[in-house]
Amino acid sequence: MNLGESIRVAWDSIRANMLRSILTTLGIMIGITAVIAVVAVGQGGQQSIMKEMEQFGSNLFYITMDWRRDELPTGREFTMNDIEIIKANVPELEYLLPCAQTFSTIKSRDKVKTAQVFGTEADYAHLHPLEITAGRFLNNSDCLGKRRVVVIDEELAQELFPRTSALGKRIIIDNQTMVVCGLLKAENSIFGMGTKVIYIPMRVWLDIYPGGSISYIEGGTRSPEEVKTAMQSSVKILEKRHHSKDLYQGVDMEQEIQAVNKVTGVMTLVIGIIAGFSLLVGGIGVMNIMLVSVTERTREIGLRMALGARRRDILIQFLIEAVVLCLLGGIIGMALGIGGAFLISALAKWPPLISWTTVLLAFTFSAAIGIIFGILPANQAANLDPIEALRRD
Amino acid sequence: MITMIKMEQINKIYRPQSNPVHALRDVSLHIKMGEFVAIMGPSGSGKSTLMNVMGCLDTPSSGAYHLGGVEVSSMNSDQLATIRNRKIGFVFQNYNLLPRMTALHNVELPMLYAGVEKEERKARALDCIGRVGMLDRIHHRPSELSGGQCQRIAIARALVNNPDIILADEPTGNLDSVTSLEIMNIFCSLHQENTTIVLVTHEDDIAAFARRVLHFRDGKLINDEILNPHLTEPSAVEGGGDI
Ligand SMILES: Nc1ncnc2c1ncn2[C@@H]1O[C@H](COP(=O)(O)OP(=O)(O)O)[C@@H](O)[C@H]1O
Ligand SMILES: [Mg+2]
Repeated sequence: MNLGESIRVAWDSIRANMLRSILTTLGIMIGITAVIAVVAVGQGGQQSIMKEMEQFGSNLFYITMDWRRDELPTGREFTMNDIEIIKANVPELEYLLPCAQTFSTIKSRDKVKTAQVFGTEADYAHLHPLEITAGRFLNNSDCLGKRRVVVIDEELAQELFPRTSALGKRIIIDNQTMVVCGLLKAENSIFGMGTKVIYIPMRVWLDIYPGGSISYIEGGTRSPEEVKTAMQSSVKILEKRHHSKDLYQGVDMEQEIQAVNKVTGVMTLVIGIIAGFSLLVGGIGVMNIMLVSVTERTREIGLRMALGARRRDILIQFLIEAVVLCLLGGIIGMALGIGGAFLISALAKWPPLISWTTVLLAFTFSAAIGIIFGILPANQAANLDPIEALRRD
Repeated sequence: MITMIKMEQINKIYRPQSNPVHALRDVSLHIKMGEFVAIMGPSGSGKSTLMNVMGCLDTPSSGAYHLGGVEVSSMNSDQLATIRNRKIGFVFQNYNLLPRMTALHNVELPMLYAGVEKEERKARALDCIGRVGMLDRIHHRPSELSGGQCQRIAIARALVNNPDIILADEPTGNLDSVTSLEIMNIFCSLHQENTTIVLVTHEDDIAAFARRVLHFRDGKLINDEILNPHLTEPSAVEGGGDI
């Protein structure tokens, strides 16, 4: 009997018990649905994050302090002098920025909001894709002259000044009066997470928050190849100036990407385990129903043997039936999974990524389950004694 | 005449270790090509066991069995399956048609295991269904057919691989007497086309269609009787299967 015939026979017997077949494949269906949906959403998310990172720039690095160390590194915080010295001594650097942030209340004449007050310098605009819609970003004379100016986003501006433009207006940040010098397009990214960020000159920030300090340094080079050297030189200078080893940590995009991959890797593993169990249970369900089917069709098996079916013909017939059953579940699961992925992604606001490898993998996996869990029943069928089988009713 | 079946000192013992049943004792017999043989005997006398051995569904405990000149008692299960497929056509008392399949597909079944191509399968199946007069029912399922009609389809299925021999174990056992005669007429017409037929029955009027009757008792062949062809020639033979 050729493959086409075997598949037709298998399909006929599955169709004869359609409800039972569908219920049997439920486990596999759910397993495949889960895998497809989660992988598609996960990969879509990963891709979005990667894209955002790429946009952010592969010629960037950060230097932070290692806060995991037991003693508080007081007195060793970054200073504005550090920045100047590093800038002067590391030729690969194109930009080097101090960054600091704290959560504060922001007041206009009659409104109160909260936001992340971010202290930095003019070059920040060169390293990040900020879109100015009115006015300007912080410039060098703002920063060097400690001008009390602030850049806020349109949405916050709208909330603080519902009736007029916020540009040129005074707002009060922690009891300090500042003038709005620029408006940014409202941010809409995964990293944004709804917290508003407002930008002020670094030196102003240090004046307003005397207890605070620069929390990290951001650097940029002309080309991505120079990032590692620039980062290492900068860290060395810091270590020398502050007489401490291992306190300062350089992080570049490569590490960031590895971190994201690690997270998605763990997620994939967890989902894989859950799906694995679901598919295991599904496989056992298929095995169970195939055993029932063999018992129900003992006479048919005996007859086929009497008519000339060899043991391997019977074995293959039941294996194919198990595989077709699993593929039925797998295909329905795939459809549901793809649908689910689009649904979840619509809510999560990033596009799902359905790769051919995932679909192919799910397909192969369902077939493999059919073979693995079909072997026992198929073997049982193939080893029936034709006379005994024919006598059964 | 070519000898189709040659059995020498065949013994069959079921459950030889625990509770042995000696179902066939030293059975020796020859059946020539084109013969129409009836096997008779009381229940439990080993008729079905003999048919199973003849049909290569079972192997004898001892003795030699040549089918069409080939020694089959030492063959493995795959070889026996091929022999059953190509050389034997079974007809059962309870028809054994697959209920989900149409008559046509039931008849095509043995050809699936012979690797016959689709078009030829259909052509040959239709030819055999024609020989048993069932062409108007090819798309019916067994549940939509009467007992006699089912048995005709089963006979068509037995014929479809051009077997050397037809083995029928009480083919009329479930049928009323009129239908039984119709079925026997089909066997008679097959006999006239020179098909070798071995048929088990315990009814004398059914056995009377054959030219030779083998009588069994307690697993032993006790009488090999040649019937007078002139006395037993059934009058309805001319009609073939089309009644
Ligand atoms: N599979 C079996 N296992 C044990 N004994 C069997 C088996 N098949 C048949 N027998 C015994 O063998 C003897 C012959 O049986 P069988 O060939 O079916 O007789 P018949 O067809 O003439 O009625 C009986 O005594 C029966 O009980
Ligand atoms: Mg019997």
